[in-house]
Amino acid sequence: MSASANGLVELTIDGNKVSVAAGTSVFDAARMQGIPIPTLCHQQNETPVGVCRMCVVDVGARVFAASCVRPVEAGMVVNTNSEKVQRARRTLVELLMADHPSPCTREQHSGDCELEAMAHRDNITRTRFAPHSTGRAKDSSSPSIAVDFDSCILCDRCVRGCGEIRDHFVLARMGKGTVAGIAFDDQRAMGESSCVSCGECMVSCPTGALTNKIFTHTALGLGPTFENVPVEELQQLPFFKGVSGTFLSLNRGAVVRRQFRRGEIICREGEYGSTAFYILEGKARVSISNPMAHVKTKGVVKKFLGKLSSKLAQRQQDQRDEETYKRWIPIDAPVDLEYDNPVAELNAGDLFGEMTCMSLYPRSATVRAETDCTMLEMLRNVLDIMQRNKTFRAQLEKSYRQRALDSHLRAVPVFAELTDEFISSLRESVELARYSPGQVICRQGEPADSFYLIRIGFVKVTQLHMGGEMVMAYLSRSEYFGETGLLREDVRTATCTALDHVEVVRIGANDFKRMLAEFPQVREKLEAVEQERMKMNRARLAVLQNVPLDDFLTQGLMEAQSLLLLDLTSCTRCDACVRACADAHEGVTRLVREGLRFDHYLVATSCRQCLDPLCMVGCPVGSIRRRNSLEVIIEDWCIGCGLCAENCPYGNINIHPFNVMVEDLASPGHRKAMVKQKATSCDLCTEYAEPSCVYACPHDAAHRVDPRKFFAELLKPGANTDKAR
Amino acid sequence: MRIDRTHRKWLVASLIILGVASAIYVFYAARSPAGPSGGSAVGFTFGMVGSAFMVFAGLLAARKKLPVVRLGRAQSWMRGHLWLGLLSLPMILFHGGFRFGGPLTSVLMILLIIVVASGLFGAALQHYMPNMMTAEVQKETIFEQIDHVRTGMIADADALIAATTGASDAGATRQAARAPIAVQTVALTQEAASALSNFYVREMRPFLHNDGGERHPLADTGSARAIFVELRTLLPGETQDAMKSLEDICEEERQLRRQTRLHHWLHGWLMLHVPLSFALLLLGCVHAFMALRY
Repeated sequence: MSASANGLVELTIDGNKVSVAAGTSVFDAARMQGIPIPTLCHQQNETPVGVCRMCVVDVGARVFAASCVRPVEAGMVVNTNSEKVQRARRTLVELLMADHPSPCTREQHSGDCELEAMAHRDNITRTRFAPHSTGRAKDSSSPSIAVDFDSCILCDRCVRGCGEIRDHFVLARMGKGTVAGIAFDDQRAMGESSCVSCGECMVSCPTGALTNKIFTHTALGLGPTFENVPVEELQQLPFFKGVSGTFLSLNRGAVVRRQFRRGEIICREGEYGSTAFYILEGKARVSISNPMAHVKTKGVVKKFLGKLSSKLAQRQQDQRDEETYKRWIPIDAPVDLEYDNPVAELNAGDLFGEMTCMSLYPRSATVRAETDCTMLEMLRNVLDIMQRNKTFRAQLEKSYRQRALDSHLRAVPVFAELTDEFISSLRESVELARYSPGQVICRQGEPADSFYLIRIGFVKVTQLHMGGEMVMAYLSRSEYFGETGLLREDVRTATCTALDHVEVVRIGANDFKRMLAEFPQVREKLEAVEQERMKMNRARLAVLQNVPLDDFLTQGLMEAQSLLLLDLTSCTRCDACVRACADAHEGVTRLVREGLRFDHYLVATSCRQCLDPLCMVGCPVGSIRRRNSLEVIIEDWCIGCGLCAENCPYGNINIHPFNVMVEDLASPGHRKAMVKQKATSCDLCTEYAEPSCVYACPHDAAHRVDPRKFFAELLKPGANTDKAR
Repeated sequence: MRIDRTHRKWLVASLIILGVASAIYVFYAARSPAGPSGGSAVGFTFGMVGSAFMVFAGLLAARKKLPVVRLGRAQSWMRGHLWLGLLSLPMILFHGGFRFGGPLTSVLMILLIIVVASGLFGAALQHYMPNMMTAEVQKETIFEQIDHVRTGMIADADALIAATTGASDAGATRQAARAPIAVQTVALTQEAASALSNFYVREMRPFLHNDGGERHPLADTGSARAIFVELRTLLPGETQDAMKSLEDICEEERQLRRQTRLHHWLHGWLMLHVPLSFALLLLGCVHAFMALRY
């Protein structure tokens, strides 16, 4: 095989000249041209194995080639549908049908046995070959899946589904020749094997060998607005093409058609949900109604009876240290919202709510029907199957490249200056890649070959050091990684792992280098950011290496800038500190008198800038982040969903209610008073010389300390903690 | 408040005030032919100073109501409350010439002695008990949360018993369980399952519901250990993890009870000290009014 300089291979398929990337299979090359090749053993989301031979094509060689495993070659002439090829396929169907009980269970249940469908297409009602039984009885030991070994055509789709997709490795091939078959563990009954009944094998099976015993009746909702869509109708939709009818039957009710009238709310920001929406017809308006502001604690402290009060302040009114000036707010939709006008439009063909659906995060924005809309609302299992469908993925990617890549790239401050021409040139070369929870995207020490921009989900960045792995950051939508290795033309400096269902925009090393060459200012900014990150990491490592660690310190105490410690030998548990905190923050305490104990000290709740800042995982709008000083900052576009407060293991983030005037979504053009919430964390009462909790403690038990100094002093032999304070 | 070396300045100042006041009183008492009297200039001054100390001590309650207002650190107020409140007793005794006087002043003197004594008692409790609570109650929680924690413990125990004995009726309370409990399901004989269920229903669950008070056999560490040793002999080895968890839950309940008792001691004395202090201040005002007018 010889590819051209741009990595493309030219070949002819059914008389059409096509150019595809080197390494593409003939099957995929034909698919990209809209030329269907029948197959039984090949699924788009599994590694092709070429065992059924149904996809054979004539490539001019001595024998027909299985197109799913045959890579394209320059100048190759492929005939996918010649008479000879058709005859070979027909013989294969006849051979397979000879051993296949017709109609099989799947054909009886949902009428979509793929083998029988092929037989019907070829008008094969009787076969010339003698039937052969496997001699294995049906296996009904599993509570949810029925096994009929006679219907199995040994395509191995179930085996790859179990091993490759689900990592269970329960199913495998066993035996040779006429006694070959699938087996659970070491030939156990399915119900007695280590099978977890995930159903992947059943969904993968093209025939009635593995079918569902129980229809689960998963239902999204009841009522006139939830219209069940028949399986046949779903399969007519382009993005459900190829999805197993067994799966759709099993999950009937897990995808419904919904009609929304103009102005109707489809979902609200901050609400928890479990579904994604696909717009079939109409337009929707996506917006954030929570005020673009952060909680600012103000007070007339110089006056005798001056008190603190919490107010909402925009970044124009209250500039905080290391404030980002991001213009774009990432949301769970194919578009981003502008800080100054957080409203955008969604059209037919757009999918939104993916993060909510896949990872159960709160809704990131409010979506309202702009015109009368028809949508498909689906649960995670349906979305998951759709995401594996290459046709659907291609449609989503096309929509993303055309509509969202531009704003997504520009949402990253360092890329704000890229020109339209350059972004256009990236459109076709960037790649969208998906990762499952726990999957490593790139590993420390590997050669750096790509730059990644997160589109969906959360990525954990870790570095391996002596003594273990340290979490450097959690990154969310519109954040990027992989630039350090590329800038240095070296290996990866950290390992990046998908925390949930992650989708990234992958920009290859060549495009990245081209960008740096064309836009020196982008290089400068990237290098500045990299320097800052390296400096911060070095500082953190120095802290960890210079101080003796024990169980408590490794939990983040040494990382903190300032800790509230309660001396338990003095504390009478009167809660004066808690009341003072509540009094200072309009009744909402940011302090709970519970937490870790170190020696005779209680480390009360207050942000300690953990090594593993779990609060940052899941924020649907990416509004919580670390400053370079490691202190947590909550950006103005917090929607008050409270997930960060829930995630913080130490209860250090609070949700503060405010009365605000917002647009009334039920009657556009009108405003109404509403209680909106904002996340906030301890601000150390910076307006005062001393935090209120410490000031109000009558027993000299509450102390704000610099943990490094304090613990270092405490850990010395014959330590004097008063001195440390 | 812990009385430690950080109180040295207050101690020294208080001793100086007491020494000076005592010297003045001795000199004044020796020079007064009719003996010391509250109505004399010196006696009146002692009364004013003592009252001022009492009023300052009483203002701590008001200070606590305004925790954020910058009126001085709460701990400074507390130190003042302790030492000046203590000094008010000798001042008032000097004021009255160590005589209780009429009915009102007698009541006032008795109240003052009780208030100061209860204050000293409270200070002693605050000095020793936080340490005791820290050492003895490792699983301490916020006092107001004890009932909530107890509900979680009962849910945990229900889930453990249901999983161990194979019973399925504890599902409702499992919702409240504090953390997922990994329990190995064990095939118990009917006899063993019945023994475990009986123990749980008749002994442990009532104990977790705080029934039986301190007389309950599980309320004592020694007898609880003996009960669990006996129970273990009836159950197969696979249940040991579950038994350990149940024993831990009982220990946590004992600690919560201990915390409740210590908390009541630590704060209970205020039920006497605070109302009597207010009564003292009120009657002190009445006494001042009556003395000045008549």
